[in-house]
Amino acid sequence: MNQSTVWPCSIAVDVGGTFTDLVMIDDAAVVRVVKVPSVPRDPSRGAVDAVHRLADDLGVDTRTLLENCSRFVHGSTVATNAVLEDNLARVGLLTTSGFRDALEIRRGIRVDQWDHRQPWPAVPVPRYLRIGVGGRIDRDGNQLEALREDDVHRAMDTFAAEEVETVAICFLHSYRNAAHEHRAGELMRSRWPGDLTTVSCELVPLLGEYERTSTTVINAGLVPMVGGYLRRLEADLCQLGLSTSLLLLQSNGGTVPVDAVASRPINLVLSGPAAVGGALGRLHDADRAQIVSMDIGGTSCDVAVLVDGEVPVIDGLEVGGRHLNVPAVDVHSIGAGGGTIASVDSAGLLEVGPRGAGADPGPACYRRGGVEPTATDAHLLLGRLRPGPYAGGAITLDPDLASEAMHTRVAEPLGLDLEQAAVGVVALLEQHLRQAVETITIERGRDPARMTLVAAGGAGGLHGSAVARALGCRRVVIPADAGVFCAVGMLHSPLRRDTARTVVGSLDDLGLAGLAEALASENERLDGLLFREWPSDASAHRSTHVDLRYPGQLWSIRIDVAEGFDETSIRLNFEREYERLFGHIQPEGRLDVTGVGVVATAHTPDMPTSATAMGDHPSPVAIAERRCWVNPEDSWLDVPVYSGDDLHPGQQLDGPFLIESTTTTVLGCSGDQLEVLANGDVQLELR
Amino acid sequence: MTDVIQLALIQARLDHLCRHMGWVMTRTARSPIFSQSHDFSCFATNRHGVLVSTADGIPIHTGGGGFAVRAILRDFGHSLRAGDVFLLSDPYTAGGNHLPDWVIARPVFLDDQLIGFCCNRAHQSDIGGGAAGTYNPEATEIYQEGIRLPVLRLIEGGELRDDVWRLLMLNTRTPDLLDGDLRAMLGSTLIGASRLIELASDIGLDEALEAFDEVCEHADQRFRQRIAQLPDGSWRAAEHWDDDCFGPADLNLCLELHVRGEELVVDFSGTDDQIDGFKNSGWVNTWSAVSMALASYFEPDLPRNEGTFRCVEMIAPEGSILNATPPAPMTMNTVIPAHEIVHLVWQCLSQAEPSRSLAGWGKNIFGVTAGFDGDVPYVMYHWNAAAGGGATSDRDGFNQIGHLIALGGLTLPDIEFVEQRYPVLFRRHEFRTDGGGPGRFRGGTGVDYEIDVSTSARWSFRGEGVGEPTGYGSNDGHEGAGGSIQLVRLDDLEGEPFIAPKYGLRQFGPVRMTANSPGGGGWGDPRERSREAVERDLRDGVISTQSARDDYGWSPAPPE
Repeated sequence: MNQSTVWPCSIAVDVGGTFTDLVMIDDAAVVRVVKVPSVPRDPSRGAVDAVHRLADDLGVDTRTLLENCSRFVHGSTVATNAVLEDNLARVGLLTTSGFRDALEIRRGIRVDQWDHRQPWPAVPVPRYLRIGVGGRIDRDGNQLEALREDDVHRAMDTFAAEEVETVAICFLHSYRNAAHEHRAGELMRSRWPGDLTTVSCELVPLLGEYERTSTTVINAGLVPMVGGYLRRLEADLCQLGLSTSLLLLQSNGGTVPVDAVASRPINLVLSGPAAVGGALGRLHDADRAQIVSMDIGGTSCDVAVLVDGEVPVIDGLEVGGRHLNVPAVDVHSIGAGGGTIASVDSAGLLEVGPRGAGADPGPACYRRGGVEPTATDAHLLLGRLRPGPYAGGAITLDPDLASEAMHTRVAEPLGLDLEQAAVGVVALLEQHLRQAVETITIERGRDPARMTLVAAGGAGGLHGSAVARALGCRRVVIPADAGVFCAVGMLHSPLRRDTARTVVGSLDDLGLAGLAEALASENERLDGLLFREWPSDASAHRSTHVDLRYPGQLWSIRIDVAEGFDETSIRLNFEREYERLFGHIQPEGRLDVTGVGVVATAHTPDMPTSATAMGDHPSPVAIAERRCWVNPEDSWLDVPVYSGDDLHPGQQLDGPFLIESTTTTVLGCSGDQLEVLANGDVQLELR
Repeated sequence: MTDVIQLALIQARLDHLCRHMGWVMTRTARSPIFSQSHDFSCFATNRHGVLVSTADGIPIHTGGGGFAVRAILRDFGHSLRAGDVFLLSDPYTAGGNHLPDWVIARPVFLDDQLIGFCCNRAHQSDIGGGAAGTYNPEATEIYQEGIRLPVLRLIEGGELRDDVWRLLMLNTRTPDLLDGDLRAMLGSTLIGASRLIELASDIGLDEALEAFDEVCEHADQRFRQRIAQLPDGSWRAAEHWDDDCFGPADLNLCLELHVRGEELVVDFSGTDDQIDGFKNSGWVNTWSAVSMALASYFEPDLPRNEGTFRCVEMIAPEGSILNATPPAPMTMNTVIPAHEIVHLVWQCLSQAEPSRSLAGWGKNIFGVTAGFDGDVPYVMYHWNAAAGGGATSDRDGFNQIGHLIALGGLTLPDIEFVEQRYPVLFRRHEFRTDGGGPGRFRGGTGVDYEIDVSTSARWSFRGEGVGEPTGYGSNDGHEGAGGSIQLVRLDDLEGEPFIAPKYGLRQFGPVRMTANSPGGGGWGDPRERSREAVERDLRDGVISTQSARDDYGWSPAPPE
């Protein structure tokens, strides 16, 4: 452990709800991992604590560590939690007169129609702070009525009297003509300067006043708190010796310097899980061209796909019932993880999830007062986890408590024995996992059977083989350091900035010249943004895209357009993607353009990779043998147990086996063939 | 007896199978109504035609699917074979709910044994009849509403019957859409069938047949346990219509609900005779609405397959509005009288179990404007004039929400989107003042809706919520305000307005439409509403000072 660190190093810190994960990689590609409890009241403390812990582990002082850190990436749930817990600043909203209720009508969207007794989340700006302002722009961007500046002034007085902390402005059709918004913004900024006024067309110039208003309002509500947190953290790290600027991981899977994101914290709401892009990009190669991943933690499982080397970025997301028009990696989450609770309904049917036992009390076997049986309890009863010290000794697993919970809450009510009950819990959980993967693949027109399944997270290794079998996947990869999957991903995430703008018109009417002009103007806008936001030495790679649809449709399809594009290539690409998604095309059908956008990325210098030779390591020796329920075919077997520390690149094992490492346990069943890859990842081939 | 673990796994797989069929439909259908509004439902039945899963689809669709499959078994049960696919729509003879909803049903076989059906019921873009787009408010007979399909063997042993296909394409104004949509429906049931076979092969044929019965028995058991928690007794409710689609009328829809132990009797005796207008309902749609009303009254985690409603007996007098006989028209029935049926069931259950009582939702008033934007024809639904929802025992009503029968499943478009698509200009879309029924929990406000339609257009009015209040109050809550629609000429804004009827077709030049959509009913005595909530409403301008004083008993705090 005490081999000396080769400077410089890169550090990523992922502040989650329960744990703060830190991963460091030094110039010799040696990876260090630190896990400390999060400090929900002051998340920056968890991050700073983790840095101190790393310095301790390395035997250097914190200043030496940070002075030699060339890249520091941070992912944080601070914005996510503020949205989920409704912990937003007091916002005043200006809208077009006659339309101040879009934010509260929410287009009438209900997530679960049958659960109609459930109220909508409280509206983030009360009606009396939503003020309509005279002035109207029509659908083509023409001014029908001039902006009533006296209305704006009156609103300013009301907002001031009401002690509004931050202001949001969203007028109808501002994506076509932003003059009214700009002028109102100018007036407002005389009292709520800079970031304290959020103007919709500066943030998201996209059609759809409900989503645009919601995005603008939530951003305004986040600015004071998140901006403050980020600047404080950067100052703290700077004082401790960090000389590079702090990078934040955004929802789009890319990073950005703190200064650039302080005015648009809305881009951080998916900050943690978005690192899946970087994490999967690292695993992607010719053998593994298409990947679907499950990151299974304590309470939830995030699934994502990687296709053509990228995790798709979608235009919007929903967090805590808020609809946000910001680019975000396409991650689907379900309530299924180690702490997922099993119960029996009133007519005697088993249910698993979506409720979880969380970190406190956690599974019954954690000895923290939990009485409901969870997936972890089931694994313990089935011999898949070892009784006693767990997760590096932080927790002790107690099989007696697990069997008591499983017995009273599941086995007895169902008239089953303990083993049947535990098997049932695992089977139902794995079915949920399988269906989550099918949702993100089949529903989006992709076949999971042709993909490599990546099973990450603390609980991923126990389910990878079984879920892959159910899906028809032939190959599973359990990444090294599976328990800090997202933090590792952050190290591999490039700088990224997305822009998008609504354009209205048919492809014929706009013509190539019109389209080129729209793209040029969007590129120009991006120039200005990058100049302000990015380090001056970052060299951007740009890709441009156009959103298209057949007339009459609601949703558009995004296709990339390269330099020197022509109509034929645009149509061809559109039809190929349309066919893939919907199974048919309309030959010669008219195409409408609905938007254009540009994405800038700048890959930071490649992370050093370990060059461990695929040496002639002897076969690993089992450290124990344990009776374990493997799967319905294998049932109970005496399974050899290996230590993760004893595995070396190039080694192979035939299932069944268990591999125990600090952050995860891997289960292989009969027919699975394991190979340790050069970078320490474990790959299973299924037969 | 399937073990309980297997049963949980099987129910989850059946539900997932239905959702998978839905994905295929969404991805492959031609009409935006399917790929984007989800106006279809995929479901699976066991070999007896009993619904085993309804996980996909909108609430009003899900309850009646079994009737369609049982009609197939009645007509073709002796000669079913692998590779057959059936099509039907007729509400009188074939287990349909109304003519525009066509059902594709595919019998599924394993080892030559029938194991069940995979089905898709979907609202078609056009099926002929007296008006484009499937709704003909002037129909007095079902023949004017479009082509009637008995149970047809559309595919016979894997061979598509071209003669039948050509007949279908001849009877629609939009054959391209219908062709594509029917093929999407066929594809979705094919995927469903392959997954059902996979499921049955995994667990074994005999076990599967048994399990598909047992998931229903489990639902039956859960629902009976829930009904047993209600006190025994009988409760009554009535809904009133003052219009039969052609003019004033005095019509009643009545329900007497009996709870007997763990069984329910839903008795619509006393409901008036069927009418000439197109808001009659047949047995299947009435049953669908009843099952949706029951499922939505109780806890959302109760299973929802056909076993759930085995303990429910329905009585609906033949020849009445709720069990009409041919040739009564009924295309409107999935909205009206489905809305009334849900209200009736909720009102009775609210008396039986007041702690969960539900106030009524405003009935919608919005119709359709059809004209030309330049030389391009358009048909615009005034969705953004939707009504307010009813309050419950623990929340205010939704101020504006789509149809009750979809429980919000059909969402409203953005104003900017509507303006981009149609030659209209909105002037106002905001909550009404005093629209929501006062209550400890206030009903949804409804909206003030004002829009300029700048082209000459045909207006189809379908506004059951125009006039008298329609969102009833519950548990001493008050009813929501009624709705209204009026039109004035754009070139004479001060002129005499046209007051819209509930139903009918009219032609107008450029006009401004002003509407107040109905409010939802309040729940509980308004005087028990917290002072804080009343003052917030006052401050928000959704109630007037007068209502605060008169309805809520509010008075300004004395100066300190």
